[in-house]
Amino acid sequence: MTTHQNSTKVMKVVGTSPVRPDGVQKVTGVAQYGADYSLPGMLWSQILRSPHAHANIRSINVDKARALPGVKCVIIGSDFPEQAFDYVGPERVAVNYWHMTRNIMAREKALYEGHAVAAVAASTRAIAEQAIKLIEVDYEILPHVIDVDDAMADDAPLLYPDMLMRGVDPAPTKPSNVSKRLEFKVGDLEAGFASADEVVEMSFKTAPVHQGYIEPHACLARYGADGQCELWSSSQGHFVVRAYTAKLLNINLSNLLVHPAEIGGGFGGKTVVYVEPVALLLSRLTGHPVKIMMSREDVFKATGPTSGSSMTVKIGVKKDGKIVAADALLKFQAGAFPGSPVMNAAMCSFAPYEIANTRAVGFDVVSNRPKSAAYRAPGSPISAFAVESVLDVLATKIGMDPLELRLKNAVKAGSPTSWGPKHSHDGFAETIQVLLDHPEYKKPLGKNQGRGVASGFWFNGGGESTASVHINEDGTVVIATGSMDVGGSRASMALMAAETLGVPYEAVRSTVADTASIGYNHVTGGSRVTFATGMVVVEACNKIIDELRLRAALMWDVDVTGVVWEDGFAKPADKSVGDFAPLSLKAIAAKRAVTGGPIGVESSVNAGGNAPGFSTQFCDVEVDPDTGKVTVLRFVAAQDVGRAIHPKYVEGQIHGGVVQGIGWALNEEYIYDKNGRLSNAGFLDYRIPVASDLPMIEAVIVEVPNPLHPFGVKGVGEANIVPPMAAMANAIFNATGCRMTELPMSPPKVLAAIDAKNA
Amino acid sequence: MLKMLDTVLPQTVRVMLTGGFSRRYTNGVREFVVQATTVRGVLRAMNELYPGLGEHLEEETSIAIDGVIHEVVYTQAVPAGCEVFFIPRIEGG
Repeated sequence: MTTHQNSTKVMKVVGTSPVRPDGVQKVTGVAQYGADYSLPGMLWSQILRSPHAHANIRSINVDKARALPGVKCVIIGSDFPEQAFDYVGPERVAVNYWHMTRNIMAREKALYEGHAVAAVAASTRAIAEQAIKLIEVDYEILPHVIDVDDAMADDAPLLYPDMLMRGVDPAPTKPSNVSKRLEFKVGDLEAGFASADEVVEMSFKTAPVHQGYIEPHACLARYGADGQCELWSSSQGHFVVRAYTAKLLNINLSNLLVHPAEIGGGFGGKTVVYVEPVALLLSRLTGHPVKIMMSREDVFKATGPTSGSSMTVKIGVKKDGKIVAADALLKFQAGAFPGSPVMNAAMCSFAPYEIANTRAVGFDVVSNRPKSAAYRAPGSPISAFAVESVLDVLATKIGMDPLELRLKNAVKAGSPTSWGPKHSHDGFAETIQVLLDHPEYKKPLGKNQGRGVASGFWFNGGGESTASVHINEDGTVVIATGSMDVGGSRASMALMAAETLGVPYEAVRSTVADTASIGYNHVTGGSRVTFATGMVVVEACNKIIDELRLRAALMWDVDVTGVVWEDGFAKPADKSVGDFAPLSLKAIAAKRAVTGGPIGVESSVNAGGNAPGFSTQFCDVEVDPDTGKVTVLRFVAAQDVGRAIHPKYVEGQIHGGVVQGIGWALNEEYIYDKNGRLSNAGFLDYRIPVASDLPMIEAVIVEVPNPLHPFGVKGVGEANIVPPMAAMANAIFNATGCRMTELPMSPPKVLAAIDAKNA
Repeated sequence: MLKMLDTVLPQTVRVMLTGGFSRRYTNGVREFVVQATTVRGVLRAMNELYPGLGEHLEEETSIAIDGVIHEVVYTQAVPAGCEVFFIPRIEGG
């Protein structure tokens, strides 16, 4: 279902859903993922990982491993160049290479179970596996801490004895596990709450969850004797892989070429590096190509989940539903190194609503878990679980439909944000209204069934992208970008190019180029690619249209101003130019040599004017009162996407966000034993949703175009994962009368809540 | 060219910082009025007020020009009387 708002421009290609260019290769197994690459003379690497959640590393003896026949090299953390301790770049994503190199391989301390402590390169994978068992590490086991509230306690074991909380003035003198405090505040909170008719304050906890990508991290590295290096790696951004790997190994960027392998899911988790620097260092030391493939267990124990959290949210409303004040305290696990998405969470907390008085305070807290990594709308789903749950309680208290409550307070263009500037786009109210009008929203429910609603916000991104467009000798088109195709971007780029050039989709070959073949592209993340890379593809196509007009003018011996481009043909601007038959791309390409040579352009942008994404969803659930099992009966998810370039992909993105949200809501969690070791490092016990867990998910595509994008794009990949957890909690409350405040809402927890209510 | 534009066409814009940036870099002052026609001009003006601030803003922020989010790009125009709000740069998943 698609709802168009203010969308009048008629498109011929954009808005259709053709077959994806990479589809056949993927379903026939031909597509090359990170683990699929091999080279002659290649070695296999295995990584030894800490069995302890927190331990000093007194010594590492690799002699026995090195002596094993077939072993070519063993490295430990100190074999990597040391990095300066400094936070570099924007606050939310500040990179500290001193931390990053220690996450790649531990030095003084192992900070989580699974932390890499050594790596072997050997002639076979079996020998490498055997060799890491021969490495002797002398650990001094230390007390560990995992839960965020425990990590903030005065007597908590410290991961870093010199960590002083940033963001407070004066700076504390006592070290703690709190890396940073931040605050966003507007208005007068006290006066706001004093004016409220109803105030609700509640506390929540959410479990850390993994992105759950199907493909484990894998790469192949080749360090040439001349210093020219190559990497084949599955990631969400091969330029970022190049940047991080080069920095960690002190290599010039021009000496490192990164090939974009296909990617089997990332969801934010593949915007960082784990194995690439290890493989390349081993290759440098051995002179052989080196391949590393993580196991599923490695992925769970050593790669970034999103944060677990502890939160308190207080909101006050008037009887008419107007929200007058809102306050959030957000404590996020960063994992073993600073850098949780708590800033995003704080900014997104109240972003959908126009509230005069708000405050959001966040704490970034280290604990003995893998370093957190981005996960779809990083931070926003977590704070939304708390905020949207409290709004549901308030709606019940004042007797107002929960969608009407949201509609009454919905931001629109010109509304203030809780972090400062004004919103500049509509789109949120439209997602609410479309659900209010939905035929299923008012349908009666059965026994033990409940309905819940929630909304969510995500910024969406812009940023740096590059694209090239070339006209082949036969008049077909090749476009190349440096944006990894995670969610179907090859197709959406081809659609926008075809629409701009006026040619069929099938005439455009859409590719992802390596780091030596195209200019810089930032990661495929932040819902930025269809917006930013799409913008530069359109710009490149417009440039090539100018070139095609020029070539046609040469062929007609007229001035270029006398040539226009319409529906894929060069035509005389009017009769005064001459009586010329339209020239097709094929006809112009045939004359390329005599009109100046190959026809191609490259464009680059640092795209701005990105517009946020809003999603509103409702779901129906049935709760088994005897087991606590929650069955999802219906899920309807509306999202403003600006314009759907490839509507089926847009639906797929919405489906995917909802599915991951359902897993986050109902089942996904890390289970640690008393020693801080993960007990469920596999998909059998870490339970992501499977098809039989899911209802039909109805995606409602709302289109309120972004006027600052040539086709109105806003972005689609993330806002959809923000509401599901709260929508599910609100539905469970509606079904059972039990307010769930902790994720996951797994059967034992739901049953315990039901039993407590009935006791 | 940029310098000439700023010189020839003096105009004022309102510059805003978040609480976090103001605490860190401007002793809590959040609001400024500067003369500029481009983002480059705004950064230069802020750097004159607080030496070193321009680089911090360049490295760490995105900007909202009357609410429309942009990356920090020197040539981006800032209309007369607009609000230029420096906000933390966000990274998604």
